[in-house]
Amino acid sequence: MSGGPVHRVAGLLAIAAVLFGHTQPAFAYLKFGLEAGGREVTLKWTTTPVRYFVTDQTVGGISAADFQAATAQAFATWQSVPSASITYRFAGFTSSTPGDDDGRTTLGFLNEPALDRVLASTSFLVDNVTGALLEADIFFNSAFTWSVSKDGEPGKWDVQSIALHEIGHLSGLGHSAIGETQIVNGSRRVLSAGAVMFPIALGPGDISSRQLDADDVAGISDLYPDGDFNAATGSVSGQVTKNGQGVFGAHVVAFDPGTGEQIANFTLTRSGLFSIAGLRPGPHVIRVEPLDDADIESFFDSAEPVDLSFRAKFYERLVVVPRGGDSGSIQIAVSP
Amino acid sequence: MRAVLIAVALSLFSSVAGATVFLPTDLNDLSRDAVAIARGRIVAVDAQWTDGRRSIETLVTLETETYLKGSLGQVVQFRVPGGSLGRFRSVVVGAPSFAVGQRVIVFLGSRGPTVPYVLGMSQGVFRLSQSPQGDWLVTPPSISAAADGPIVRGIRRPSPLGDFERDVRALAGAAR
Repeated sequence: MSGGPVHRVAGLLAIAAVLFGHTQPAFAYLKFGLEAGGREVTLKWTTTPVRYFVTDQTVGGISAADFQAATAQAFATWQSVPSASITYRFAGFTSSTPGDDDGRTTLGFLNEPALDRVLASTSFLVDNVTGALLEADIFFNSAFTWSVSKDGEPGKWDVQSIALHEIGHLSGLGHSAIGETQIVNGSRRVLSAGAVMFPIALGPGDISSRQLDADDVAGISDLYPDGDFNAATGSVSGQVTKNGQGVFGAHVVAFDPGTGEQIANFTLTRSGLFSIAGLRPGPHVIRVEPLDDADIESFFDSAEPVDLSFRAKFYERLVVVPRGGDSGSIQIAVSP
Repeated sequence: MRAVLIAVALSLFSSVAGATVFLPTDLNDLSRDAVAIARGRIVAVDAQWTDGRRSIETLVTLETETYLKGSLGQVVQFRVPGGSLGRFRSVVVGAPSFAVGQRVIVFLGSRGPTVPYVLGMSQGVFRLSQSPQGDWLVTPPSISAAADGPIVRGIRRPSPLGDFERDVRALAGAAR
């Protein structure tokens, strides 16, 4: 699991306008957005620390205290990203349950038979007029068996790993598509996940997703930048076309051969523009591929005309990312 | 109603619809577990408070054209979590969103005498689109129950509605 939608606002707005000759910016990362009061609003916390509660119930042998300790580890992992400013604070136990629209950000177990293929999920309560984020709840489906063991337990889902993914959402990040799966006996298995925000869990007993990957760090830092993040990193921007037309929803991955890190984004306009921010300065390999290893609607709104009908392609040259700047627009033509 | 991201395809913002840890589901699982599989057109989308006014959910009304499995009547309602009521909007990321007029195939589950729900959240919804020639198409899931091996990027294509429905009927029939 892992991944993440975010944005880079200020710097890239100007960059994109210059590069593409118009005023529509290409954002880095995806992000949660909604329309409120007649304007587009980015879903993020405007005040921190984010105060959260934990449901005071023992479920499946896991006490509320043990559950809180495991989720606190996940919160601490996000909070420890040095280039991000977001912070969280445990506010206490509560009799409320996640999903209650009560103004309290709450984490806990629920038995949700209608969500029988969902391990966990995040929900938001938003003010329709102002766009303010009022609360964000995370439910863990008690229909599954869970573990809070330090080393994980075979056959049980790791609370800390799943919490790390969901807290990414709670913070405003969407899914990442950096991951590979395969079909075994008709079922999909995750081969690798290059980001905590990849939407499919690795498997019960696995605890390898307790650590953030480069894509996650870039995402949270871009949404809540701290220190000199924007000045110390750079971006790659460009356009993906097919038969001379822009491609919407193409997954564009920047691979740093020096570190092995991958950070990605999508083309986010019908003209095929993309921008990937938060990259270490230096050369990068750029790959474009269709979003066909995942459920499209876990990335984009259903109304988005995501193009899946093209072949993956590497950009012919290394792209050098400058410190505090943009690579300049690169053009990538893909084949049907 | 637009639940989460108001997709502004041509404007500055892009939308992200999902935010959930899924267990991946293929057509075989969906066809086996669905109590009904319906194709139809959305005719109403109504948000409401759940019992006890604890949260918001949305009732979606589908005027069915045909059933690929089971039957719940000419008009069927199912619920999805989240919705917009007055000043508040509840967004359950990963839950599918619907708009009046959309044509869809939905895989519905049910637990007892309750309003049906969509299996696997957005995994249980397949949206119909029209080709430039006017043919109705469905984009299949990335999981094929028939083939083992790595998922090969770039080969997933919208398929004719008739082909998709033939596959679903076969899977649903085999699962009985």
